[in-house]
Amino acid sequence: MVGPVGGTETRAAGDRSGPGSGPQARSRRRNAERWAPYILVAPAVLIIAGLRLYPLLLGVNFSFTGDGDRNGQSVGLDNYVALFDDPLFQQALRNVGLLVLLLPVAVAIPGLLATFIYLRVPGHRLFRSVYFFPAVLSPVIVGAIFNLLLAYDGPLNDVLGTVGVAPIDWLGDPDIAVFAVVGVHIWATFGMALVVFLAGFATLDPTLLDAARVDGASLQQVIRHVIVPGLSRTIQFVFVTTMLGMLTSMFGLLYVMTNGGPEGSTYLPEYYIWIQQGQMNRPALASAASTVLFVIMLVVGLAQISILRRSGKED
Amino acid sequence: MKQRALFSAVLIGGLALTGCGSASEPGSSSSTGGSTDKLVVWDWKSGEENAAGYFEQAKADFAEKHPDVTVEFVAQPFDQYYTLLGTAIQAGEGPDVVMFNGGGQIRDRVDALLVLDDYVADDRERLAGWEAFSKDGEVFAAPLTLQGHPIYYNKALYEEAGLDPDNPPSTWEDFVAGCESIKTKTGAACIGLGNKEGYGIEFFLSAMGSAVLTPEEYDAWIAGDRDWSAPHVKQIFELWQTAGDTGLNNEGANSTAMFNDSFAIFQAGEAANIIGLMSDIGHWKDFNEFLEPDNVGVMPAPVVNQEATPSLPYDGGIGYAVMNWTPNPDLAADLVRSLTSSEALEAFYADAGAIVSDTTIDVSGAGPAVSTIVGELQNGKQALHVALSSQTLDLMHRLSQQLLSGSVTVDEAVEQLAASDEAG
Repeated sequence: MVGPVGGTETRAAGDRSGPGSGPQARSRRRNAERWAPYILVAPAVLIIAGLRLYPLLLGVNFSFTGDGDRNGQSVGLDNYVALFDDPLFQQALRNVGLLVLLLPVAVAIPGLLATFIYLRVPGHRLFRSVYFFPAVLSPVIVGAIFNLLLAYDGPLNDVLGTVGVAPIDWLGDPDIAVFAVVGVHIWATFGMALVVFLAGFATLDPTLLDAARVDGASLQQVIRHVIVPGLSRTIQFVFVTTMLGMLTSMFGLLYVMTNGGPEGSTYLPEYYIWIQQGQMNRPALASAASTVLFVIMLVVGLAQISILRRSGKED
Repeated sequence: MKQRALFSAVLIGGLALTGCGSASEPGSSSSTGGSTDKLVVWDWKSGEENAAGYFEQAKADFAEKHPDVTVEFVAQPFDQYYTLLGTAIQAGEGPDVVMFNGGGQIRDRVDALLVLDDYVADDRERLAGWEAFSKDGEVFAAPLTLQGHPIYYNKALYEEAGLDPDNPPSTWEDFVAGCESIKTKTGAACIGLGNKEGYGIEFFLSAMGSAVLTPEEYDAWIAGDRDWSAPHVKQIFELWQTAGDTGLNNEGANSTAMFNDSFAIFQAGEAANIIGLMSDIGHWKDFNEFLEPDNVGVMPAPVVNQEATPSLPYDGGIGYAVMNWTPNPDLAADLVRSLTSSEALEAFYADAGAIVSDTTIDVSGAGPAVSTIVGELQNGKQALHVALSSQTLDLMHRLSQQLLSGSVTVDEAVEQLAASDEAG
């Protein structure tokens, strides 16, 4: 806001010396110029306020009303109490915690692969396109493919069988299924993060790398002291987007691969919301769950940014 | 997320409005009822190819009785059907005759429906499945098809295992003993089970329930008087767990989808028994195609307790009801009777492979399985799981997987189910 206003004043001052500019025309123009920035940002603000913030508030408001017989009545915090009493929602929250713990892995994989491509390992051109390929597949198709691969009598267990490993029930064992689904999600989406990393590398000053090499730095040292600090903003961005992706776009995979099972072990808040809204006909409870999910994402996102910003400064 | 939810709500609302608009736009003379020489029917079947013969028969039957009345069938998309119908009910006008799913869908809307008892009195004997379309002792729709859970078995595998394919085991001990021979001699699993979504327990509870509970316990369950801690109720869940622990099921049941991986296992001859459906999918017609009709058998549930009387669990599938705003109820009820006439239902059975509500239709040409099913209809009862709320069923899905993996005991499971059943 400060920018355009300052500009207006400068221009108005310049106008004063111009011929044929009466005080009336001057004030009209100044008026128009004063309003112009507001009018220009109005569409964006209205869209955000009308289509995002307002529905958000409606949803939060709706979460304080009842379901079924108590439809439309105000029930205070009942939905939130029911939510945190529900072992299924607790499981979903625990899984969110697990995702946060797995986040460094999900960021490190594309980061490392992008580093190798940037350092021009043999075949890096091929890998660049191959790595991106899964990112163009819809989660439903990815899920269907891995359903076949990970089936109890599927090819993966056959391969393991040839080396003497007993078959593993990848999607039927509650301790394994969640890792299988997260693994497939990382496989399916790391291509996008990889591209972001490659774009980050494009802004990296190559002379720093050359200098490090001349100084005799090893690959590990180059990554640790040159690449990571140089890419801190990119890493920060990838961290936040990967976290949001894990929390909000695993629905398709969950739906196709596990249906939240076995034993509810792969529930995530998003899937829980869908079940409560669509299957159990409890939209107000679903609203409460989505409010909680929103708060979680806000907190996690802000925390990540502040932590990463601090660590970026230290470097 | 929230924005997305709201957006889809707006979208669905919009679709419902436009869908409704397009159905009623040409005015009351065309798609909505209200005139005495014209009846409008809403359903989701009249556009389907394999139901064409059925509708032809029903229309012919009605035209014979009322030659000067025109009948218009409006096929609505099923995924929006009850939304559209809800709008019509809100408005208090719309079709004269409507199709319904049995159970909750029709019971929630009986206020807008005509009581049919007096009109269909002559059909009560001929047709089965009325309970699913009744509330408080009054009938609101005439059943068209039946849906239930017979236990199918593969006669070829039974023969290979040295068992008598024409005399399937009648007790649970014999059944388990037969499973041993099947596994050792054919290599196939004894029971094909897909419990990835947790539907396996629904089928098991309903198919085996009548072989465990006494008839009194069974009827009390259906009537809503359910004692989850009763020994016989627990026994059903113990059977489920033991069947898993002793390896009667195919491997990886908790990661096998019922639709349609478990049916595929049975069709491929990799499992000797499976609890399937009667109509639509995973039923005798599908199995006949893969295994040959003579190899597909249906057995009554093997008896677990001597006091129990095994019966086929089934309910009315779909049926036709009359809206209470129709100006000519006699005419509309006559149309419902034509839609459930023997000739029409026979065509539906022959073309779509559904088990229809008319028990007098000759089904002997379609193989032994369907004959057994139709023969069992007389003694059949409502399925146990249909009486439970969707919340309780959802919980039961997860508990059934935990029972199979051993992370919960039967006592803990029935305790949780009892709490959920009481709350719902």
